[in-house]
Amino acid sequence: MNALSEALTKKRVLVCVGSGGVGKTTVSATLALRAAVDGRSSLVCTIDPAKRLANSLGLHALGNVEAEVPASALEPLGVKPRARLHAMMLDMKQTWDDLIVKHAPPDKREKILANRFYQSLSSALAGSQEYVAMEKLWELRTKRDYELIVLDTPPTAHALDFLEAPNRVLDFLDNEAAKKLLTPALAAGKIGLSLFSLGSSYAAKAISKFTGTETLQELAGFMLAIAPMNESFRERARGVRELLAAEQTGFVLVTSPGRERLDEVMHFHRLLKQNAMEVVAVVVNRVHPMPGPGLWEEAKNLIPSRRAKVEETLRELTVLAEQDARGIAELQAACEGTPLIQVPRFELDVHDIGALWRTGRYLMGDEVVAALPAA
Amino acid sequence: MAGLLDKRLWIVSGKGGVGKSTIAAALALRSARAGRRTLVCEVNTQERISRLLGHEPVGPEVTKLEDNLWAVDVRPQEAMREYALMVLRFETLYKTVFENKVVRYFLRFIPSLQELVLLGKILYHAQEKRPDGQPLWDTIVMDAPATGHAITFLRVPQVLLQTVPPGPMSREAMKMRDILEDPAVTAAVLVSLPEEMPVNETLELHAALRDQVRVRTHAAVLNASFPERFTEDDLEALVDQPELLRVARAHHDRAAQTVLAEMKLERNLHAPVHQVPRIFTDNFDRAAIQQVMGHLEPLVTGKAGA
Repeated sequence: MNALSEALTKKRVLVCVGSGGVGKTTVSATLALRAAVDGRSSLVCTIDPAKRLANSLGLHALGNVEAEVPASALEPLGVKPRARLHAMMLDMKQTWDDLIVKHAPPDKREKILANRFYQSLSSALAGSQEYVAMEKLWELRTKRDYELIVLDTPPTAHALDFLEAPNRVLDFLDNEAAKKLLTPALAAGKIGLSLFSLGSSYAAKAISKFTGTETLQELAGFMLAIAPMNESFRERARGVRELLAAEQTGFVLVTSPGRERLDEVMHFHRLLKQNAMEVVAVVVNRVHPMPGPGLWEEAKNLIPSRRAKVEETLRELTVLAEQDARGIAELQAACEGTPLIQVPRFELDVHDIGALWRTGRYLMGDEVVAALPAA
Repeated sequence: MAGLLDKRLWIVSGKGGVGKSTIAAALALRSARAGRRTLVCEVNTQERISRLLGHEPVGPEVTKLEDNLWAVDVRPQEAMREYALMVLRFETLYKTVFENKVVRYFLRFIPSLQELVLLGKILYHAQEKRPDGQPLWDTIVMDAPATGHAITFLRVPQVLLQTVPPGPMSREAMKMRDILEDPAVTAAVLVSLPEEMPVNETLELHAALRDQVRVRTHAAVLNASFPERFTEDDLEALVDQPELLRVARAHHDRAAQTVLAEMKLERNLHAPVHQVPRIFTDNFDRAAIQQVMGHLEPLVTGKAGA
């Protein structure tokens, strides 16, 4: 039993993290699929609008609500899942709206939904993705009874954005100085009249010079409107932070073996450790296996022109395999103590249920990438 | 076919992991070789380009790498400071205000202010002038974030114009939008791989840039592509050696995928697609970048054939 297959039987939440384009979504879907087949009801919550992933799971489209993956989708595998598998795709805007509708006082809802800051915050602006993913995870974990939730995270460029999402909200809400500044306006209960009633303050004048007075007023309006929600925001942000550090939560770091990815994954690994988050495994995806020596022998019998082509190809494959092996050794050293699991690069990048299953065989340790022959 | 050399701001984007930084580095090097004062900008990431070109990391200050070539890693804190200084004019005022904890909290909560200052700084460089009134930089290469982030990032001016009332921020946003939308100045180079997902994402990125940011796709680069090697005859001759056949077929399939990807991109982008073959080298260093550069010659000069 390898680290991931063990995690699939014990953890309640697995969070897949890593930079863009390394196969996080595939790994996330595979983990949930394997857990369901082995008998734990599971949900994969993906961020990537990868329609083919949805299709491969037998769904026409994934939405912001969980959909059960039909048994027919798993038929080609010849396995019968012993528990249910659900999938959903995170819709940022919808999650924000739901949050407001659920938690804002009824008389404030429309005001918030109509606020320009809110609209851009909830749909277009950067930085809110990580936060929304956290909110959704919290809701799913506390309101549903899946035995396992696998969260695919936004292709964040910065590990910290993700880990800090709940902290950022908490910091803001808990900041005494900020509260003090807002208090007069909160007490007055109306917006924009005097720039949080701090129009005379030096700081406020300078900020407004920077952003424009009306911007600040509008922001104040937004802050006032969401003020009644602060307590529940705070509660959930704290909850998310605890959830991430909980024993039943594990992180799966996904990467490809390329040089340019390695620094990122090592950095990510360090940050998670520093934040006392458990890294269950580092998955190195799309590893090039070393072509066996027998192939070179076989190639010798070919006619010269063909032999040259085959040998050229074998040479290229060797370069790639050696590069990957060097990267993996480096990664292994940097992430000492964390299991490293390799998934080979398949011949073609397919996105059907069979490919998910094949990926799973490597993730669970049923199959392993052949090690380099000793030099 | 117009070359990139006719434009001043080259925006390089694409799906994560397709080799954007490699292409950006090669383009910057080629521009510098053409005798143009070139600045290559990375956006708040782990700095890569200076190292790919065989230099030490430069950090957040504009630093000369070699003849005609400068680099900068644009980071939020420094960009915020520069932007604030531009608006507030005085260092002491900046210190009093921006090093004030309360103010920092408020600024952090102003959505997309960070993106505004990052993009703002790069576009500020695009407007910098020499004493004689000529642009300071002949070429600015922006190694933009990956698809989703890139659109969010480049849309910041538009979103701000819809969000913030008239004021300094909106004036900045308007200036920025005008540069991005000017086809005589700005051109996007979309990097893809010969695989289905990256190609589809490239098409989405193209549409979003066109409709939401109004930035024109100048060309696409099909990176790490596989040239044809094995003929049908070769494959047939290998039927009795299944292991070798597998190796040959894998290569053949990838080559076929390259052709398909190129067709799909060309048909949908209405822009030229330039292939950069996968480079097999032990270390992806400056020599490799120079090799990549050779393949980008028609893209840069607009002349057919390398």
